[in-house]
Amino acid sequence: MKSRFLKTIVLILITTGLKAQNLVGEVEYRYRIFYDKIYSSLPYLTPQERDRILLTWGSPEGYSTRMKLQFWPEKSLYTYGEPYEVRSYSWQIEDYFIENNLQEQTYLRYMDQMGKTYIVRDSLNPPKWRVMNEIRDILGHMCMKAVSEDPIKGQKITAWFASDIPVPVGPEELFGLPGLILAYDINDGMLIVEAEKITFGEPNQPIALPGKMKGREVSGPEYQELVNKFIQTSIKSKRAWMWEVRY
Amino acid sequence: MKHLLLFLFLLAFTFTAQAQSKLTIRGTVKDTTNVPLDYTSVLLLSPKDSALVAYTLTNKAGEYQFKNVDRQPLLIKATYMGYIPFQKELVLPEKEELNVEEIHLTPILQELYEVVVKAAKAPLMMRGDTLEYDASKFKVPPGATLEDLLRKLPGIQIDADGNIVAQGQQVQKVTVDGRRFFGGNTKMATQNLNAESISKLQLFDDKSEQAKLTGVEDGVKEKTLNVELKEEAKKGGFGKISAAGGTDQRWASNASYNKFDKVNQFSIIGYGNNVNQTGLSWDDLQEFRGSGAFQFGDTGDFGFNGSGSNVIYFSGGDREESFEIPFNNLSSGFSNNQAIGVNFNRLKDKKDFSGNYFYSRSDQILESFNSRTNFLQNNSSFTSTDQSLQNNIAGHHRANLRFQNELDSANTLTINAKARYSTLSTALASFQELIRSNTEQSQMERDNQSDKWSGAFQGTAIFRHKFEKKGRNFAASLSNTYSHADQDGIQKSIVDLVNSTDPNTYFRNLDQVNQALNSSNVFKSSLLFVEPINKIFFWESFYNFSQSRSETDRKVFDLEASDTRELNPDLSRFFDNIITYNRIGSSVRYANKGSNLSVGVAASNYNLNGQFSVIKESEILGRVNKNYLNFTPNLSFWKSMKGNKRLSAGYNMGVTPPNISDLQPFKDISNPLYIREGNPDLQPEVTHSINTGYNMYDPATFINLQFSLNTTFYQSQVVQNQTIDPETLVTTFTAGNVSGGRRYTSYIAFGFPIVKTKFNAYFYANPSYTKSLALINSLETETNTLSQSGGVNFDLNPLEWLSLYAGSSFRLSQTKYEQNPSQNQDIINWNAYTNMNIKLPKNFYFDMKFNYSRFENESFGFNQEVPILNAFVYKLLGEAKKWEVRLSAYDIFKQNQTISQFAGQNFVSTGRIETLSRYFLLGVTYNMRGIEVKKNR
Repeated sequence: MKSRFLKTIVLILITTGLKAQNLVGEVEYRYRIFYDKIYSSLPYLTPQERDRILLTWGSPEGYSTRMKLQFWPEKSLYTYGEPYEVRSYSWQIEDYFIENNLQEQTYLRYMDQMGKTYIVRDSLNPPKWRVMNEIRDILGHMCMKAVSEDPIKGQKITAWFASDIPVPVGPEELFGLPGLILAYDINDGMLIVEAEKITFGEPNQPIALPGKMKGREVSGPEYQELVNKFIQTSIKSKRAWMWEVRY
Repeated sequence: MKHLLLFLFLLAFTFTAQAQSKLTIRGTVKDTTNVPLDYTSVLLLSPKDSALVAYTLTNKAGEYQFKNVDRQPLLIKATYMGYIPFQKELVLPEKEELNVEEIHLTPILQELYEVVVKAAKAPLMMRGDTLEYDASKFKVPPGATLEDLLRKLPGIQIDADGNIVAQGQQVQKVTVDGRRFFGGNTKMATQNLNAESISKLQLFDDKSEQAKLTGVEDGVKEKTLNVELKEEAKKGGFGKISAAGGTDQRWASNASYNKFDKVNQFSIIGYGNNVNQTGLSWDDLQEFRGSGAFQFGDTGDFGFNGSGSNVIYFSGGDREESFEIPFNNLSSGFSNNQAIGVNFNRLKDKKDFSGNYFYSRSDQILESFNSRTNFLQNNSSFTSTDQSLQNNIAGHHRANLRFQNELDSANTLTINAKARYSTLSTALASFQELIRSNTEQSQMERDNQSDKWSGAFQGTAIFRHKFEKKGRNFAASLSNTYSHADQDGIQKSIVDLVNSTDPNTYFRNLDQVNQALNSSNVFKSSLLFVEPINKIFFWESFYNFSQSRSETDRKVFDLEASDTRELNPDLSRFFDNIITYNRIGSSVRYANKGSNLSVGVAASNYNLNGQFSVIKESEILGRVNKNYLNFTPNLSFWKSMKGNKRLSAGYNMGVTPPNISDLQPFKDISNPLYIREGNPDLQPEVTHSINTGYNMYDPATFINLQFSLNTTFYQSQVVQNQTIDPETLVTTFTAGNVSGGRRYTSYIAFGFPIVKTKFNAYFYANPSYTKSLALINSLETETNTLSQSGGVNFDLNPLEWLSLYAGSSFRLSQTKYEQNPSQNQDIINWNAYTNMNIKLPKNFYFDMKFNYSRFENESFGFNQEVPILNAFVYKLLGEAKKWEVRLSAYDIFKQNQTISQFAGQNFVSTGRIETLSRYFLLGVTYNMRGIEVKKNR
């Protein structure tokens, strides 16, 4: 369906090689999550608990992780970037890899979620984007605003894509806009992902997926159903789900 | 390429009204000077919701083409870097081909793009021909007017008369949130509106008033500036007040109020009651402290620590020595309590300030009965009982200030200041009996009174620096704690020694007045340096210094018959002690992929220096000058694994120096039945601890599992050796060192849902074993205690309106005396509880809590049951449920008392405190935010 025009774009990009310097590169994103805001929005809390969380755990800075996206006209790779701070201790670093193959219109997600490792493979099916009349500058690129929704996680997504980098990919699970997504925001500031650095050209260190991937193989809809069920049971049991599922 | 395009531009869209024919749409994009724009994104959107239907890029000639587009209303949009995005609704033709009129993109005003979009990072919004941007992104000084803001904005000038000129035209009209401001006088608006309250500015050509009125387009456009005001900055306040009164003149009340905005948090809280509540609830404490509720890393002690872990404890008691605000504290006996506190936090520009003051007061009456049986080596024993009535009146003022300033990204300074001031007065009347047999008994009556005030101040500064080289860190801390206490007391005791043939000279009836002045000053400093060897190896070095100087001036006067005071030189003492501690250590850490291993060693030196005399500046009676040097290795390991699993293990060697009072060759006979004597040869306590643990949690199934085992071996343990005079039964304690003691504690827990989201179970067990040694009458005595305890909790939430919690715990503590097996003890503590919350119709709620405890010790025939039943009915009133009326019944069976049982090295003790029992309260609560219905476990 809609993915067909995605495929078209890929072929134009590959075949024309127009301004090729803009078609291959690496983006570093700051993934800034505001757990206090998310936590306090959970539906089972009393208004008093909500106030208490915001008063005591309120963090105006959020919690930052560096993420890395590498893109080519035919594919993109996404995973963790270098940590912001070098610390003398190490928490478990969960695996989180996303590979989008635009040529074959498929994706592969290898990620530790909900206490397990999942390998999700399916065909790319872009979210329903609505393109808005707003522009913004991100690292010297004029970006247009597009909005979408995730009904399972209850998210309102506001993304900014650069039409001068016409690769239809982006960070996390987002893609399918007429340009690289350089920033996005969920529910007005619960999560802010913003590009900090763009380097064009073949990346020095291409992201390598782990050689052997162990995990439960599921399809896209199966995974969505797992997430849906997990969120529903967590809410019923009054547990915060966002610690276990990528927001 | 072209046929690729032709071939592949296949676009589809789910459209219910099936289109008869597909469309081909083509056109050209050029700039205002007619130059074709290649590489321009052209989008087709659905006009009703802007949904993206299809998109493509223009070729070198600026041409684009969409094929096989479903017939539906469409909007075409073209965007190119540096140009205002163009959009227009397409008029769909009858035929299948649509040649769209040439699109001309207008460049964005250079200045506007540079200043607004790039420099100020303000999104630019297009609404038809209106450009709008976020004025809050432009920095203006506080108190600036709209005019000051406008001067900063590109494309806008303010002329000498204060008129606004935008894009070369005078602005005719200024509107605020779409409405005219002060009759359209633009200067009124620009000079009076506060720039900080503005969120967005819109500049557009509006129709003239005339055209609006008549509805006839007159072609006249008025340049209009619309100002959108910010929604009130995040601001709020909430508060609650509640009062209850009941039977036996019981009452309880509390009130709190919070006010906050983005930067400041202010709160005030107070309570009063005579139902033993001597602290805030956990929730109230959090609301009271706000952003200052949880502060970590404020201790300033660096390097591996004695216990091998960095755990933060929250303990809520209202202890005199504590700087912390009491919480979750229910006292024993009967007490009358009041408290009031204020808190202020301010968080701005990486400068966090938090401060509070809290005053709590308590008047407590404790009536207790304690019994202690001591075993002698010849299979005999004697029992002492103590019946006492105590009245404690305590008042504590506490103030805490904390300031943290992130000076820049590399440097952070944290300053903590804490102060307390307490007054305590105690009156104790006690009757002690020593029972050896029916014929051999001795008795003592004590009547003590004391008044005390104490104060302390603690200041800590911590500086942290991150070097440019990633992972290289430095931290330094300085702290000073000064405390002072002044106590005056009266001690009276009448001793009747029935069977004494050799009366100890110290041991006699007392009628004394005592005065004690204690002061101490502790200075501490720590340094920490972390050097990354590479990405996974780190080298950590630390240095700790502390010096504590303490002075105790205790004067005891005997009151002679004539009421003249005479200094008692045997009981009066002046101590002057200095303990200096130096430690230097280093460790290598490995940290990679969740695995952490640290191996290190430290050298620690304690220097204990003390002297004492009868009174200050009199002849020195004894000196202590001890130096202890130890090397302490340390090893710790933890690994986080996928699936929320964590494994940890560690080894730690701990060195604790003796108390100077245990070193002084001095007899403390302030309690004539239990005399303490110092031992100048005492060595530090040295322990070896090994800890292991594992835990896991599966968020999908809610199953969790925990296991831990901690062992401690005493290489040298400081114990209280006892000599019991077989005639007078007076016990003399002398501290001594012994090796061979050990302790094992473990914890195993397993939690899982029986019915997911509705019924959960949690099982746990924590067996422990302790072997302790002590010299009793110069004989080594071994005591082994095996404690088997465990329990189970169930949570049941079968229906929306019903929750049930039930559980039970059990502890069997078996103490075996190697030298005296006939005195072996089996102590049982058993507890079961059930809580129920029911939501009834019409906003009625019913809560019930039943708790049953049983205390047993067969060898003494001790068997005590304490069943406590509490019940609550309450109703929420009003539409917003801000009012609550509550009827509470506490201890319906009138059974409450505080029981304790303990088996020690050569004794067994039981204690009982008479405690507030059955009472009823009727109360009203008003909460500005609505009443919070809490479910209780």
